[in-house]
Amino acid sequence: MIVQTALLIGLVLFSVLAILLRDLLKSAISLAAASLLLGIIFFRMNAPYAGVFEISVVAGLITVLFILTIALTKAGDEVRESRAANWVFPLFFIAFIIIDALVMKGLLRKIPALASGAETGTFGDVLWKGRTFDLVGQIAVILAGVFAVLALFRKRDKHD
Amino acid sequence: MTNTWYFYLFFAAALVFAGILGLLLRRNLIKLFIAIEVIAKGISLLLLGTGFVKDNILVAQTLVVTFIVVEVSLVATALALIINIYRQTKSLDVRKLARLKG
Repeated sequence: MIVQTALLIGLVLFSVLAILLRDLLKSAISLAAASLLLGIIFFRMNAPYAGVFEISVVAGLITVLFILTIALTKAGDEVRESRAANWVFPLFFIAFIIIDALVMKGLLRKIPALASGAETGTFGDVLWKGRTFDLVGQIAVILAGVFAVLALFRKRDKHD
Repeated sequence: MTNTWYFYLFFAAALVFAGILGLLLRRNLIKLFIAIEVIAKGISLLLLGTGFVKDNILVAQTLVVTFIVVEVSLVATALALIINIYRQTKSLDVRKLARLKG
């Protein structure tokens, strides 16, 4: 539990760093580190498939896409951020953490545990038999993404 | 069992709030998108944390895998849009998009 807590605190810290850091490249790398920690947390929660997806796709592919975009938009760092953001963010975030802790502590005593039943089978059974419709949705979403990117980067006709 | 659930709920709420604050305070389009990613991390943590404490880890895993696929598709499309916006306006400032003039 101590290791899990340390990993979760690291996840929140890297995520906050990703938002706070001024340099976009450092932000993207910080986000990748947060994804890596989340993947390790998933592994420790007996969810190896979700962990593998998180590390390979989110920490790998999405970071590459972010770095590619940062490289293609060189003037990105020149955007003037509001000065108030530097002190507003930590102030509100710490206030929220305190409220969050108090609310969770309060809920702990009042709301009982929800009923739960152990499940049987393997990950493959659940994915292919139980959530078949999700797979159809995934294929549709991937195709929609591919067509959207193709539409956005198509070459312009001479008539345009 | 319940204690563990509130433990994950606490961290997931912190991640979602950090992302929302980032969305409200930042002006760089890529920064805004990084904030959306942070919110997505909070949601995946909540999904899997709930599955973990209720002994339904397999269903939670399938939901997280589906969520990650949707996330990747969203990221690819949004970053393509950001590159196109940069080509048009030569800036990543979100305030410049508020000007509706041609």
